[in-house]
Amino acid sequence: MSKNKTKLNLNRRNFLTGTATLAGIAATASVVPITIANANHSEGKKGLPNFISWKDRDALIVHSDKGIETHRSAIGESLVTPNRNIYIRNNMPTMTDAQIGDRKKWKVSIEGVKNPQTFTLAQLQKLGHETMATILQCSGNGRGFFEHKPRGSQWKTGAAACVLWTGVPMKTVVDACGGISGGAVYMTSEGVDHVPTGLDPKKAMIARSVPKKVYKDAMLAWEMNGVPLPNAHGGPLRMVTPGYFGINNVKHLGKVAFTAEQSSVKYMKKSYRISPIGKKGSQYPSCWEMPVKSWITRPTDETGTVKAGKVQIVGVAMGGTKKIRSVKVSVDGGSSWKKAKFIGPNLGKFAWRQFVLETTLSAGTYNIASLASNGADKQPELRMENRRGYAHNGWKDHSVNITVV
Amino acid sequence: MKIKKFLLIFVTPLLLNIQTSLADDAKMIKGLEIFNETAACAACHVLKAAGSEGNVGPNLDTVEGLNYDSVMDIVTHGLGVMPAFGEDEILTKEQIEIVSFYVANSAGK
Repeated sequence: MSKNKTKLNLNRRNFLTGTATLAGIAATASVVPITIANANHSEGKKGLPNFISWKDRDALIVHSDKGIETHRSAIGESLVTPNRNIYIRNNMPTMTDAQIGDRKKWKVSIEGVKNPQTFTLAQLQKLGHETMATILQCSGNGRGFFEHKPRGSQWKTGAAACVLWTGVPMKTVVDACGGISGGAVYMTSEGVDHVPTGLDPKKAMIARSVPKKVYKDAMLAWEMNGVPLPNAHGGPLRMVTPGYFGINNVKHLGKVAFTAEQSSVKYMKKSYRISPIGKKGSQYPSCWEMPVKSWITRPTDETGTVKAGKVQIVGVAMGGTKKIRSVKVSVDGGSSWKKAKFIGPNLGKFAWRQFVLETTLSAGTYNIASLASNGADKQPELRMENRRGYAHNGWKDHSVNITVV
Repeated sequence: MKIKKFLLIFVTPLLLNIQTSLADDAKMIKGLEIFNETAACAACHVLKAAGSEGNVGPNLDTVEGLNYDSVMDIVTHGLGVMPAFGEDEILTKEQIEIVSFYVANSAGK
């Protein structure tokens, strides 16, 4: 194969200009728009792509240059996940500084309101100011546990983070526009990160419709954990939809519209639908509200053997769209459970809570699991099987095996 | 008789072997053509061996666990903005097999 490799290693310029190739392939006109070839994706320092070279490589599992997961043990032992440890899942290339231009002049239009308006970021920053904590979690977090190996990044626990956002409440923006027009059923957010690719917006635009009521909790955020929203996380402005899966928190936000229908783009109609294995279609539920979920972050199989004696079992728990009420921990694979204690500040129902169970373990191997409840729902034992491996909150797969010596 | 036997035992397998590797060579050449031109995979993916620098989908040189079966699966059924080249009959089954063979044998090289 090495001989082939030399033969087939085409010169990019030849390819783009459609001149004859070394392999003798018939030359045809280039089909590649040059604008797509951005410069922010080459492999950077430390094995991370350049656009996130500022992240902590040791905290991350690289599934690809566009799917990067936080190690289970790097979720962070303080409540908020540090930006340098937060996962990356991008459907479109991250916009560059050059594509974004002057951040203060970034524009977002508001439609489906009594007085439709376009605001610059500077104008939004004068309109209101709020900080809130929410969980950002990819719809496919936990996909790596599904036995039928669904397509997409094989996330285990680390496509999730607890983040402090600063921005303007969507309700403030709606009020400034005279309120929502009659007939609206959905709040539809549209990103503009597909624009530099030149691809068909129907196929490439990230537009996500969520039930209209979400606007009361939502925020247009420009700051993430105390710094201007990084481009890699959708800067300079993104929608934050608390309690809803990551995809609905649209990055590089260009428009918010209150609409009677869901957006007709592929990312709304076809993608992110929770369908049975072997079936698909827009008749199946969209990835919207996150279910109650928890997992242990320490000790894990990543943190090595545990010394016999007193052990602190630590983890994070989220209630989805409801307040988390309780977490139980098992050290015997779910045969018996003990109530864990919540620790750290309570940053509201959309943030996760840390929990700890102090227990005494003698030498041996243990399967440790956590089971969270929000009062209305608790984690099921098993995953809900589905085609694309979405919304996994079963406690059994999320358990970990540890060795105590 | 001896020559016939010799041919049967030694030369035939050799020829078959050569045929296989020629077929692989041909697949690599054809696969590159499909990747860069017919299907324009290059428009959206980095693949050093193909000289492509597309930045919509993942850099194929960095995708964890990429193999023939996983490429076949994703090219056939699509994912997100990536078209379902098989389901939507953009490529033939043979073209998908060839381009998947090419990508699986080129990624990371």
